[in-house]
Amino acid sequence: MSLTPEQIRADVADALGEDPADIPLDGNLVDHGLDSVRLMSLLERWRRDHEVRADFADLAETPAIEAWAPLLGAA
Amino acid sequence: MWYAQALDPLSPAQNTAECLVLDGPLDPEAFAAALRRVVGEADALRVRVQDTGEGPRQQVRGSVELPLTVRDLRSAGEDAGQRAREWMRADLATPCDLAADPPFRHALFRVGDRRWLWYQRVHHLVMDGFGHALLVRRTAEVYSALVDGKEPGPRTFRPLADLVAEDAAYRASDERARDRAHWRAALADRPEAPRLAGRGALAARTFHRRTAHLAPEATEELRALADRLRGTWPDLLIAAQALYVSRACGRDDVVLGLPMMGRMGSVALRVPGMVMNVLPLRLTVRPQDSFADLVRQVVLGVREVRRHQRYRYEDIRRDLGLLGESRGLVGPLVNIMPFDYAVDFAGTPVRARNLSAGPVDDLTVNVYDRADGRGLRIDHDGNPALYGHADLAAHQERFLHLLDRLARTDPQAPTAVHGIATPAEEALVVEEFNRTARTLPPTTLIGPIEAQAARTPRATALVYGSTTLSYAQLDVRANRLARHLRTLGAGVGTVVAVSLPRSAELVVALLAVLKTGAAYLPLDPDYPAARLALMLQDAAPVCAVTDHAERLPQACGTPLVALGDLDETTLSCYPPVPPERPLTPAHPAYVIYTSGSTGRPKGVVVPHGAIDNRLRWMQHTYPLTHADRVLQKTPSSFDVSVWEFFWPLRQGATLVVAEPGGHRDPLRLAAVIRQQGVTVCHFVPSMLQAFLSVPDAAGCTGLSRVFCSGEALHRETAQAFFAALPGVELHNLYGPTEAAVDVSHHACAPDGTGPVPIGRPVWNTRLHVLDAAGRPCPPGVAGELYLAGAQLADGYLNRPELTAERFVTTPGAQAEHPLPPEQRMYRTGDLARWTDAGEVVYLGRTDDQVKLHGQRIELGEVEAALAAQTAVTGACAVVREDRPGEQRLVGYVSGDADPAALRTALATELPAHMVPSAVVAVAEFPLGPSGKLDRGRLPAPVFATSGGADGGRRPARPHEELLTRLFCEVLGVRGVGPDDAFFDLGGTSLLAVRLVARVRETHGAELTIGSLFEAPTPAALAARLETAAPVSGDALDVLLALRPTGGRTPLFAIHPAGGLAWCYAGLTARLGPEQPVWGVQARGLADDEPLPGSLLEEAADYAAGIRALQPHGPYRLLGWSVGGVLAHTVAVLLQEAGERVDLLALLDAFPAEQWRGRPAPEEGDALTAVLRMAGFERTSEHDRDDVLATLRRAGSPLAGLTDRTLARIVDVVPNHARLMREHRHGVFDGDVLFFTAAAPRAESWLTHTAWQPHVTGTIANLDLACTHPRLLRDDHLDAVAATLASRLARLDG
Repeated sequence: MSLTPEQIRADVADALGEDPADIPLDGNLVDHGLDSVRLMSLLERWRRDHEVRADFADLAETPAIEAWAPLLGAA
Repeated sequence: MWYAQALDPLSPAQNTAECLVLDGPLDPEAFAAALRRVVGEADALRVRVQDTGEGPRQQVRGSVELPLTVRDLRSAGEDAGQRAREWMRADLATPCDLAADPPFRHALFRVGDRRWLWYQRVHHLVMDGFGHALLVRRTAEVYSALVDGKEPGPRTFRPLADLVAEDAAYRASDERARDRAHWRAALADRPEAPRLAGRGALAARTFHRRTAHLAPEATEELRALADRLRGTWPDLLIAAQALYVSRACGRDDVVLGLPMMGRMGSVALRVPGMVMNVLPLRLTVRPQDSFADLVRQVVLGVREVRRHQRYRYEDIRRDLGLLGESRGLVGPLVNIMPFDYAVDFAGTPVRARNLSAGPVDDLTVNVYDRADGRGLRIDHDGNPALYGHADLAAHQERFLHLLDRLARTDPQAPTAVHGIATPAEEALVVEEFNRTARTLPPTTLIGPIEAQAARTPRATALVYGSTTLSYAQLDVRANRLARHLRTLGAGVGTVVAVSLPRSAELVVALLAVLKTGAAYLPLDPDYPAARLALMLQDAAPVCAVTDHAERLPQACGTPLVALGDLDETTLSCYPPVPPERPLTPAHPAYVIYTSGSTGRPKGVVVPHGAIDNRLRWMQHTYPLTHADRVLQKTPSSFDVSVWEFFWPLRQGATLVVAEPGGHRDPLRLAAVIRQQGVTVCHFVPSMLQAFLSVPDAAGCTGLSRVFCSGEALHRETAQAFFAALPGVELHNLYGPTEAAVDVSHHACAPDGTGPVPIGRPVWNTRLHVLDAAGRPCPPGVAGELYLAGAQLADGYLNRPELTAERFVTTPGAQAEHPLPPEQRMYRTGDLARWTDAGEVVYLGRTDDQVKLHGQRIELGEVEAALAAQTAVTGACAVVREDRPGEQRLVGYVSGDADPAALRTALATELPAHMVPSAVVAVAEFPLGPSGKLDRGRLPAPVFATSGGADGGRRPARPHEELLTRLFCEVLGVRGVGPDDAFFDLGGTSLLAVRLVARVRETHGAELTIGSLFEAPTPAALAARLETAAPVSGDALDVLLALRPTGGRTPLFAIHPAGGLAWCYAGLTARLGPEQPVWGVQARGLADDEPLPGSLLEEAADYAAGIRALQPHGPYRLLGWSVGGVLAHTVAVLLQEAGERVDLLALLDAFPAEQWRGRPAPEEGDALTAVLRMAGFERTSEHDRDDVLATLRRAGSPLAGLTDRTLARIVDVVPNHARLMREHRHGVFDGDVLFFTAAAPRAESWLTHTAWQPHVTGTIANLDLACTHPRLLRDDHLDAVAATLASRLARLDG
């Protein structure tokens, strides 16, 4: 099952301990508490459940949901 | 980093390195090729940094030679790994020259058929931990392709220039300005960095490391807990470290340092380089908050830090002004390195082990998650200047233990349930160090004294001046008084006040009260009436024993027993045996009042059992015999007096009672110790220091033991003690009034170093050092000291709330608490720590209580007293040390009150030691950022002297003039007027000791400390000096003991023309306590002995006298004026007798032939000589009476001479002048040290070279810019003394 931007947002919010409504699609996730350890565990989850192939640096370079969507096959 | 390296070019501290273990086949050729390719791709590895006129510049070189060492170590067998590690260690210790060398190095060691070690070292300036991981991954990628025979994929790294451009853009951005504002605001109050070592240090060149692994299961537990708390495992580790640091440093405001990778959202994700930044994470850690709360605080705190993570650590420090103060910003660093090393080299797996993560300022906890399924690795790296291997091990073990506890405990429980000590440490500090249980008979304070009186009735119990009482006499007197007190209601369960100056009667009265079964309440007769009234009202004694009725305030209605009015026959009617008393060890023995923080003194009620335990321990530890004589000098209102009074009387020893007031005067103490053969006594450390500063202290060789307590004993004082009194024991005791005088003890050693511990617990006593959560602190960690056991007081009289506040039960009756439950503990408010050896070290106070010269003062009480005065709107009190070693209590007030009047008002309410030296009016109190009073910014007091600009009365008499000068000198103030009181100008009792010493030195006048209290102004003191008795006959002896004691060879100083050697007193003072000095004086000053007929006859007489004192050489001689001629002659005579003379010092003395043919002086010139002896040039004095008047006016000690002696001096002077002209010099075999008064003079022909015919050696001359009479005054005396001292030191090797 492939990812959707809403699912990405829900997963990110869960990792950050925030309400999905508070996570913008276009904002810098670092400002909302995303760090490398959280990103790694998200990535591991997505690789396992959604067969995502993006690597860490690809996501970390532009930490925003909009930018991730094509990399995560959710565009 | 570049500057740090430039400051210490030989430091290898910035080398970062890791060792990677490859288990499997490896092709070294392909490996080298891969490395070469990666170096070509990673710009940072080709960087060279050069210092240019415009600062350092980095340049990326096109290519560099690969620094790679390849070794096959398989032949070393099992040692192969060891060899490789040694090579790495040596390379890691090699500094890197950034301008010349490549900033990296590689090595590949084959240590087994299928095991390789890859060593990668890079300078931290160009690479961080994430960069290392990028390099390893790319190397593996390239190698695998090469081995596969494929072309490696294209370069994945971005150029270094991209990183530089991004940084430049940030530096110019508004974002940076916002980040800067954020950090300034967050740290505006410049919090103190928590230091586990208790102090900071400069970064060292190396570090100590201790490594531990968290098992995979424990790591999984942590991850699971982190998930539950909606955090990550790094958040959890940071929170755990914050909790540890908070407890170990005793702080709730904790600033940790977080090294941040800083690559999210940046091109730096693809640039191997140095991007990492250290940022402060500020947390509030409180025992009542749960671990879950703390983790949440960390999550939010780190999130906030991340938003501002690009602002450099160095810039934050600069913004806060910490760079200039070399002050740290953060405590320990928690460096989380979750870098993915899950790579392989063509199927050969790799494990990375960090060898160095860069310089360690303080302590860094490096945590590695290599995602290799092996759990977390935790390295504690410490600055060797601050942490030894054992310290690091302790911190690491406790941290791991704490992690384990946290993982197993409900995270919603308050963190107070956790301690930081390991179970082994807990067992040590709670049980092992406190193994003091001792079964003792249930006795009282008084019982053993009565038993002793029955055993040795005829032994001497008490000596006071010329009064001596046997045990039987003392017992009978106390029994009769006890029976009298019984008629007034004294008995078990009651309190009887005793207000008597130190005397035999005081001891009788205290014993009498105890014999009735009542508790005694000592009231210091020197306390103000208001204070005494307060204590009488509070304690409601059934009666008060005093010497006369006026001593105590009448209004209280306490029945008085005035011993002075008591008819002897009344007492003698009572039977000489004690009254019956149903007394048990649980009944109160005494009530002693101490300062109370809320403004009211509090009465501490101590039961018999407590003090009995204390005295039994003391006798066991420092056994007294019948031959011992114990000095009683502590005022009865301080509890040290309790053992002084009663311990000797329980053991058959003698109690020596010092006269009232004498306890403050070192000279009088030394005299009583020597005269009375005292063997045991007590000093407050500051008083011990003052005592040791007088030379007479060294003469107290009859002492066998000295006890210190009351305030911190400095090591320097202990060392001075052993230097002055070798072979005498010095013991440091500690304890509050609330625990029967002392609860711990430490025997000082002459070769001891560091702070003097307060030591180990006494019998049946337990000491607990507890952290903010009430958990035991491990050794080395500071906490609050709690006391438990047999010596605890019952509490505070009539103050149940206060008693409940200070006498607490075990903080956790909770499960898992290591302290025995329902145990009563006294909370001291003292900060302390255990040593590994089981001794306690005192570190300071947790509150506003201070000790000033051994006296306990609650600043709150002083503040309350100030605030209660009219027109005072706010008040505070502090102890300041504006001049080193001089502590003073200073009060600050706001409002319209007159500060001087406030001081006077306080003196009528508070004991003298609680009255501020100065009260300063402030417009408003300086506040810190948190709104709390900033005591550090309170102004230093300026002591208002009357002789300032508006000009008070000027000194009218010479004595006043001299004393006002000495007041200025000792107090460090200007413009003291004759009517200014010493204690109003900031004088303390210790400064009083110094003033009295200076008066003695400059004046030759004996003045006691007591007289300064009675006559505290220059005018009043001058009046005393003028009426002082004439100088005693001893001062006119031929051999005058200027300083009879000291370990060095004595110096004999021969009188000038007038015949007196007093002029050498100042010189003596400057040569130090080890140098004995004897003055040699003319015969016939005290009696009618004939004057000598020749200088040779006179010198022979002196030589005989000197030999009587010191039978054999080497001799050291000195003489001023004619005394120099005599010294030369004495030296020749001693040499003729076969003795060695190794010093002959002549002070402006010239040989006979320089005088011969010149007219001899007449009486008029003799008067000039007398004036000169006193340091004056003659002006208008015509005759003897004028001269005497001048001397008296000037306060010269010569004025104290009788008319007869003065008349005799007037004869001695011309006699010497005549003999000089007739004298024939012998030849002295040796060198001469000469001092010339080189100011122009009438006798311009005088020169030291005239001595050359009479001396075989050289004459070393020192010219001093002064006249002959002023040679031994002022700074000329300093110069003479300094030259002599260095010569004497050289002679003594």
